[in-house]
Amino acid sequence: MRVLLVDDSGTMRTIQKRCLAKLGIEDIVEAEDGVQALQHFGQGQFDIVLTDWNMPKMDGLTLLKELRQINKEIPIIMITTEAERARVVLAIQCGVSDYLVKPFTPEGLKEKIEKWVTVTT
Amino acid sequence: MSVCAPAIQQAAVTAEYVNPLITATRSVFEMMLGCVPTRTGLRLKESGETSQDVSAVIGISGRAQGTIVVSLTRESACAVLEKMIGDVETEITPAVCDAVGELTNMIAGAAKAQLAKYELSISLPNVIAGHKYVMHSPSDVTPLILSFNSEIGPFWIEVAFTGI
Repeated sequence: MRVLLVDDSGTMRTIQKRCLAKLGIEDIVEAEDGVQALQHFGQGQFDIVLTDWNMPKMDGLTLLKELRQINKEIPIIMITTEAERARVVLAIQCGVSDYLVKPFTPEGLKEKIEKWVTVTT
Repeated sequence: MSVCAPAIQQAAVTAEYVNPLITATRSVFEMMLGCVPTRTGLRLKESGETSQDVSAVIGISGRAQGTIVVSLTRESACAVLEKMIGDVETEITPAVCDAVGELTNMIAGAAKAQLAKYELSISLPNVIAGHKYVMHSPSDVTPLILSFNSEIGPFWIEVAFTGI
């Protein structure tokens, strides 16, 4: 299981990495923005992408659109403070697989990940 | 009656954006820091008033414009990092600033969701660390300062809006 974790906040990446570790997921590639994420995505195989929305250089929505040009199947979960219905609808229209609003609980993230990939703890 | 009407109207307008901010702050603190803050005051910011050791600033744009600033003492800011990921710091480091910025981002985002009719966008957080600095707002806006106390210590939220 290989995860591409995209968030400009190191604190938030640490929180998510610890949630993933509890699911037995240790193979995590981190990116601070959409540009870094695209570079990583082009260099390896991933099973799921977790991405923030508001980031410098390239935001999560643009990243989502770019990734969907490359891969229409991979689960992409948007983890963001953008909670309004219009934003969620926009992300769905752009091909997001699932959506999690910050702040979230570890259980909330676990539930989203387990919905899209098979994890063995 | 006519004398009081503008004041009542202003209070209602203020409550329209202050209440979502208070609700958002309580919710984010409870979920991310495991504590529920208590509001200790609401007042207008004085001219030339200095800020705390660390301030995270988020710009608001859309059908209303403004800023939300979360200010903390050094001790409270370090406690934010420790509560969020367990890392202990005693000085203002980039990690502390990142944690305070992310906390502020979540507060602003949660408040924004309650003000959906204004179709707001929020900027990335900018974090300022220093001693006795003054943050200026546009001359036509006097920011409100909400003060809180919590398990991590006191903190303040400064909010300045136009268009609401």
